[in-house]
Amino acid sequence: MKTLHEVLKDWEAVIGLEVHTELTTLNTKMFCGCKLEFGAAPNTHTCPVCLGLPGSLPVPNKAAIESIVLAGLATNCEIEKESMFYRKNYTYPDISSNFQITQGPVAFCMRGWMDLEVDGVAAKERVDLAEAREQGSYTTRIGITRIHMEEDAGKLNHVGSTDGRIAGATHSLVDYNRCSTPLIELVTEPDFRTPEEARLFMQKLRQIYLSLGISDCSMEEGSLRCDGNISLRRRGESRLGTKTELKNMNSFKNLHDGLVYEICRQAEVLEEGGIIYQETRHWDPTARHTIMMRLKETADDYRYFPEPNLTPFVLSDAFIEGIRTRLPELPDEKAKRFGTDFELSAYDVRHLVEHRSTSNFFEACIEAAGAGAGGAGAGTGDVGNVASAKPLAKPLANLIINDVAGYLNANDGIDLADTALTPARAVELVRLLVNETISSKQAKEVFAAILEEDKDPQVIVNERGMEQVSDTGAIEAIVEAVLAQNPDKVAQYRDGKTGLMGFFVGQCMKAMGGQGNPKIINELLAKKLG
Amino acid sequence: MTNFAAWSVRAIQDGLAAKDFSAKEIAASSLENIAQTDKEIHAFLEVSENLAYEQAEKIDAAISEGKFAECGFLAGVPLAFKDNMNQVGTKTTCSSKMLANYQSAYSATCVEKALGAGAIPLGKLNMDEFAFGSSTETSFFGPTKNPWDTSRVPGGSSGGSAAAVASAQACVTLGSDTGGSIRQPASFCGVVGLKPSYGVVSRYGVVGFGSSLDQVGPLTKTVEDAALALNAISGFDARDCMSKDIQTDFTKNLDAGVSGMKIGIVPAFMEAPGLEREMKAKVLEAASNLEKLGATLVEIDLPHAQAAMSAYYVLGPCEAFSNLARFDAIRYGYCDPNHGDLGSQYEASRGKGFGMETCRRIMLGSYLLSAGVYDTYYYPAQQVRTLITSDYAQAFEKVSCILAPVTPTTAFRFGAISDPMQMYLSDMFTVSVNIAGNGALSLPVGLGADSNLPTGVQLISAQFKDENMLQVAAALESCYDVLRIAPPFAEGKVGA
Repeated sequence: MKTLHEVLKDWEAVIGLEVHTELTTLNTKMFCGCKLEFGAAPNTHTCPVCLGLPGSLPVPNKAAIESIVLAGLATNCEIEKESMFYRKNYTYPDISSNFQITQGPVAFCMRGWMDLEVDGVAAKERVDLAEAREQGSYTTRIGITRIHMEEDAGKLNHVGSTDGRIAGATHSLVDYNRCSTPLIELVTEPDFRTPEEARLFMQKLRQIYLSLGISDCSMEEGSLRCDGNISLRRRGESRLGTKTELKNMNSFKNLHDGLVYEICRQAEVLEEGGIIYQETRHWDPTARHTIMMRLKETADDYRYFPEPNLTPFVLSDAFIEGIRTRLPELPDEKAKRFGTDFELSAYDVRHLVEHRSTSNFFEACIEAAGAGAGGAGAGTGDVGNVASAKPLAKPLANLIINDVAGYLNANDGIDLADTALTPARAVELVRLLVNETISSKQAKEVFAAILEEDKDPQVIVNERGMEQVSDTGAIEAIVEAVLAQNPDKVAQYRDGKTGLMGFFVGQCMKAMGGQGNPKIINELLAKKLG
Repeated sequence: MTNFAAWSVRAIQDGLAAKDFSAKEIAASSLENIAQTDKEIHAFLEVSENLAYEQAEKIDAAISEGKFAECGFLAGVPLAFKDNMNQVGTKTTCSSKMLANYQSAYSATCVEKALGAGAIPLGKLNMDEFAFGSSTETSFFGPTKNPWDTSRVPGGSSGGSAAAVASAQACVTLGSDTGGSIRQPASFCGVVGLKPSYGVVSRYGVVGFGSSLDQVGPLTKTVEDAALALNAISGFDARDCMSKDIQTDFTKNLDAGVSGMKIGIVPAFMEAPGLEREMKAKVLEAASNLEKLGATLVEIDLPHAQAAMSAYYVLGPCEAFSNLARFDAIRYGYCDPNHGDLGSQYEASRGKGFGMETCRRIMLGSYLLSAGVYDTYYYPAQQVRTLITSDYAQAFEKVSCILAPVTPTTAFRFGAISDPMQMYLSDMFTVSVNIAGNGALSLPVGLGADSNLPTGVQLISAQFKDENMLQVAAALESCYDVLRIAPPFAEGKVGA
């Protein structure tokens, strides 16, 4: 099979996403008063309504409607003043009434969009864009068709098969705890052209939902789920190809890898003169391929009709504006503010706001830095604090984007608040670096030691005798000694083998027990050798 | 033993207040009477003896503590529920094999309200399977018989509810009406049948048929009893989003008379093909009586009412198809033992658990909602609904109540109507009311001149103005001296 890069030279991939999000932060279910709780004993959070017992009736959860309106406002959607719930009729044991209450042609949120700034490795997938090739970055707008409200189904547990899947199972158990969990489904326009764009969209959407506080957005536990629709067409062709629907992309990596595989698979089929069938495929991350689940010969007939037990939902301007006041600062706005206030690069701010934990930590550090510098009060956004903290912003950003984010990634699920790294310690560490008390290499060691030993950076530096030597006289003596010991290398250097600079720096550092200021060593070496 | 179920609500309550008899005696006499009469009538699917005595004890305790006045509108009144109403301690079968062993997991709001108002629950009443029918012949447990002539149907789908009142098995029964299911059997059995405006009584806990059409209401011997029962079971319920917060005392206008009132007559109804001569005569007689009482008759036009039947047989089956989808033999209900995989379990259990008429409605709804067909039927039916609703709204700008036939004929013999389309015509005068959401009632007006069987006339009110039709009904009722209990079952004087 060709690589994605090769495929995308000849083919254009057209991708749309459908994103289901459980509103896990709500207390109760969508149409009844049962408690929402993940992992409770099976069928303990059920009642006549979510069990679909005869005679029971749905009552919509107002807080869920507020959440979807929040989601819509945060993704530039138009909020429909009047929308309705519909029944989607299909028969399966996980849906107790054998219909799902969802929305019809008009959803609460319609016609939104999200801008993606794509850079770095991600931009390289976009082989067709000159901008992406030349500047290494580009911006693209993804249309959001709609976000509608619906209820989740229960969960089937297949018993008797080796892997818990239905194939080979002797029987199945149904847990209705999840039945009628409030769910919002966001549908995008087919505006993605690369798997990276899809991944970035999902990351950004997750960040927005997290900042809205409407879901825990756990792809692992399934509270954030995403299906992709993929088709290919020859570059220059305007007609859409036949699409396949891809499921089971339960992590950002699986989303990306699944889409890459599916694009390459379709290209191979098409290039061999084959036909793409409209089908649902399943991404198998272990085998690293997609497999056919179900062929869709005709569109499923869900016999949609308006839910006769509920009246059309009318949202007043006052209600919508009330929700608007609850919008927090969204990642894009935060990135913009960071860029303006701290003169950080687009790359830095994007990565700082990628996770709420890191952006919050950055802000706490700025506050700590301002307060430590004798700024007035402890309030965030204080002009004096921001100004005094500004010189530390870039090194703080570096620390957070590289070291902190790396640590969090390596320790999956750990909460920054539960570690020994406080904002005050981070600021102290960065100050030691900025005033050249320690080298950046030493800073990494101190960072690791803070987390391991739960000590302040200065204490660690003192204990380990790490103070960087920046005394020019002392360094000069060492530099001269090193050059004197290696006359042949000095000669080679002067003959043009400038790569030997690293060797001299290393020798000086070694002689100084690693505590020499590399900047000064470099400067002195250059002077003496030059 | 005196059968108190033959008495009116007020007579029972006056007697209890005066300590002439106890609630326990009421329960005992009612239960004994049911035991004697129900072999013939078959109105009851289940008799809840223990629940009846428990409630009677509570009422008697309240009486002995001098708190009878606090007991509610139906204190001590022997009452029974249609078997599509969930009541803890009883089965809710909907007269279907599918739910033959289904124990109610919770109680319907109307049941809770009736019991909260002090009613003595006697049991659950037979009906057409899932309320699909007009004769109670589709019940899996066998039909109920008309107390006036046991070779005839009691009507349906609330046939058990009507027959139980007409045979003095219960003072008040609750029924449900999706297209005429309270009013038509009330007319066939010669009792009062009240279908309130959609939203007046909570539907929570009543097994849904056509959710946008279903409404619960009482069947009684007198208009006053119906108004008292409606007082007891109406009111806002947060568990039913269609429930309205109507705080009306439905008895308030009962003595107000009709002098100066404008009553509408729909000429198209009077000339409808199929309306039997004796039924038409009864409506004309009622009109004449109302005029004598001082009302003015006004001819009104409901131009789209002729399309009501068509719209009803689209909307009803569509909603029923979806509502009945939950009966899949997974969690409860009839599960055919001879099945293989999931698909065959569905097929065998539903195929054998549902009767013919239920299958017909499911098939019809399934077809009408399918892609491509939906736009041809469901959508126009909703448009018709809007037009009919608007027709009624305009009519009620001119009149405060409409007088109309309730059924085209009197009760027919078992097996007389085998063509489902013919059976559906039984509801030709009632369905438009459900489509528009108005209130309506059937008032007994004596035996038909030709058939010598009970007849009724229909009074229709504007939405949420149910007190208007009760006012007219009470006045009109005074013009007749008709038996409300079929002669073989009559004992004592009604309203004594």
